Amino acid sequence: MAGGDGQVSHSLEKQFESFRVQLEESAALREQIRAVVMEIESATRLIQANLLLVHQSRPIPEVIEKAKEKIVDLKQYYGRLAEILEECPGQYYRYHGDWRSETQAVVSQLAFMHWLETGTLLVHTEAEEKLGLNSLEFGLETEDYLTGICFMSNDLPRYVVNRVTAGDYDCPRKVMNFLTDLHAAFRMLNLRNDFLRKKFDSMKYDLRRVEEVYYDVKIRGLISGGDPPGVQAVQGQS
Amino acid sequence: MSTESSMKDAFSTYADYLNNFNEKRERVVKVSRDITMNSKKVIFQVHRLSKDNKEEVLEKAGKDLEAVRDQHFARLMKELQGTDFWKLRRAYSPGVQEYVEAATFYKFCLSGTLCTLDEINTTLVPLSDPSLEPLQINILDYILGLADLTGELMRMAIGRISDGEIEFAQRICQFVRQIHRELMLVVPKMDDSYDMKSKMEVMLQSVIKIENACFSVHVRGLEYIPLLGDNAPTSYLLGAADVE
Repeated sequence: MAGGDGQVSHSLEKQFESFRVQLEESAALREQIRAVVMEIESATRLIQANLLLVHQSRPIPEVIEKAKEKIVDLKQYYGRLAEILEECPGQYYRYHGDWRSETQAVVSQLAFMHWLETGTLLVHTEAEEKLGLNSLEFGLETEDYLTGICFMSNDLPRYVVNRVTAGDYDCPRKVMNFLTDLHAAFRMLNLRNDFLRKKFDSMKYDLRRVEEVYYDVKIRGLISGGDPPGVQAVQGQS
Repeated sequence: MSTESSMKDAFSTYADYLNNFNEKRERVVKVSRDITMNSKKVIFQVHRLSKDNKEEVLEKAGKDLEAVRDQHFARLMKELQGTDFWKLRRAYSPGVQEYVEAATFYKFCLSGTLCTLDEINTTLVPLSDPSLEPLQINILDYILGLADLTGELMRMAIGRISDGEIEFAQRICQFVRQIHRELMLVVPKMDDSYDMKSKMEVMLQSVIKIENACFSVHVRGLEYIPLLGDNAPTSYLLGAADVE
């Protein structure tokens, strides 16, 4: 065999050993990230379970109070993620996939909560603030925010249907106006054929559904006040 | 209090952000394609080497590789400052992998050694404008590019055997075995371990093809006829005439 082989082997081995060390480190980091992300996921579920109570006509302020407690936890978890990522500056996007969908779910719940409270859209910077994030270090990715908003829109038709059943005939108009504005705002974006685009496409079906409910309520004259005849009879029974 | 107009204001910033980013992504994809194409040309150039023209072939290949760095990597570097380096990885990784394949292929044929990641990155530093971060290839793209190298070395080994350069083929055999062994240990810890796992299977097939070719040479000696079924030219008539 040619003489240089021993040397060749040695520098080759050194390089791969250093690779193994580096990749062990990144794998370990990934595990830390996963652990925190699991916490984020369970906190989000708790928020979601709380917010679902609005479908059962629990008063909004009460529901929101409970949900807000969990936001404190979320802030903590994102803080931990930021700390973990400090070990490898500039690599937010290397690991971003590990918290992408969980963050979209978080935004969706926060935006729904914000809408219930204020009737307005939670904007990107506000969402970032609520989670204690900042775009210079560990931020909220714009596309995650936008996707989260689309998820929120998906929940609105169900909310409207249940509010009407509970006798709130004003709700469809409010939601319809909100969703119309939101959809129009989204149309300002030039999207690629990706997941965000698909989610945006689904928003028009949410809007249609809400429009249908609004129409149902309007033509029966329910908006001006008073329950439909069938409901009065049922209420007599309960 | 027009919520509609404040929504529109917010969304116009999101629109700007997405437009700018998507345009950048497109530019990076274009550079990546240029890098891929020109790196492939280097690989084909290196494959043209034979016993008699090694020096000229490799000299041209070296120059072409340098041109890829000067013309295309410089463009890439401008786009990948800061967090965009990881954010846009999907857009440029194929090009970078192809470049790594070309650079390591060239280096091996030149000197019989592996061009390490540090060596490759050192060649990229002079490109930088002092106000910009130099572009450094990351460990994952290097490993992925290296995995593809073994396929080209397999073709070269078969070709060298036809040309009568048995020893060259044997060195290739040793080399790819080593690479395969080392990469095996590294694969599970990689970010893209799925892609890498399929590359490892292909790599093992390349190693086996080279080993079988060396076996045939060893056992059959002068009568050796190159393996059929791979992409190497089946020049067995030429091979038989050249050997001895």
